Amino acid sequence: MVYVKWGFWALFWTVLVAFLHYTLPDHDIVRVTDTYERRIEPGDNALFWSNADTGDNTQATGRDVFFIQTFLSDENPMVFRNEDTGWGWPPYFKFDTSNLQAQASDAVSDGNGQNARWVDVLHYGWRNEFLSIYPNAVSITPVASPDVRIIPWFNIVALTLLAVLFWMIRARWKRFWHKREEWAKDEWSDGTA
Amino acid sequence: MTALLRLLIFGLIFLTIVYVALSWYFRAEHRRRMERDWEEAGRPGTREAYVAAGMEQYEQSLRRKLIWLVYVVPVTAVLVIIYVTNIA
Repeated sequence: MVYVKWGFWALFWTVLVAFLHYTLPDHDIVRVTDTYERRIEPGDNALFWSNADTGDNTQATGRDVFFIQTFLSDENPMVFRNEDTGWGWPPYFKFDTSNLQAQASDAVSDGNGQNARWVDVLHYGWRNEFLSIYPNAVSITPVASPDVRIIPWFNIVALTLLAVLFWMIRARWKRFWHKREEWAKDEWSDGTA
Repeated sequence: MTALLRLLIFGLIFLTIVYVALSWYFRAEHRRRMERDWEEAGRPGTREAYVAAGMEQYEQSLRRKLIWLVYVVPVTAVLVIIYVTNIA
């Protein structure tokens, strides 16, 4: 029984951490090498594509999606998709996909050395080659060098607030059940009092 | 536009549940505090009258009105995110 309990909590925390890791914003310092659009027909990986209703028909099975092809500062490739999230989940309320694509193609720089132009890509999501899923770029800001250190203030605040909320609910929950146990103990149930 | 409507309707329902739950919770907490106050003040008058007067004050208080932040904060956050993501 104790393994079932462990298993349950392990699964619970894994799902929660994965969910937060997927949803919360993250920064990558990259140089953009190309931008393009490609036909996408989401299948089993449909969960990892956003199909936001921002005016276009959402019933179409295939559609063209913008991509931003980049290299990280350690020279590993990273490919972002660039899709509207609209009014849906995750709540980035992103509608400016085409504008972002214009900025991305303006930031293209080939090769290393003096010509490289580094940008900070704010994004959420995961890159996974086996599922063909890509993180969704949310904004692009030029940075001076690939060594810029970015402090994730939003995540610090969001996670702190979440922890406080959890703790407050948990404390009240425990107090509630503790009190019920106290009330249950009277002279009739206990024989003391 | 259906996506926006869906967000508004479900958002409103969710926030209303939170608002109602918090209103009940804080009102119950205040009532408990009033009952304890009455005993600590040396039981002036009847308990019901004392608590009723305290609750009357609570309904007018800023503390009570702050629960409206349940609606104000998320709506403001959404507007700020829309601005930051798309315009700024």
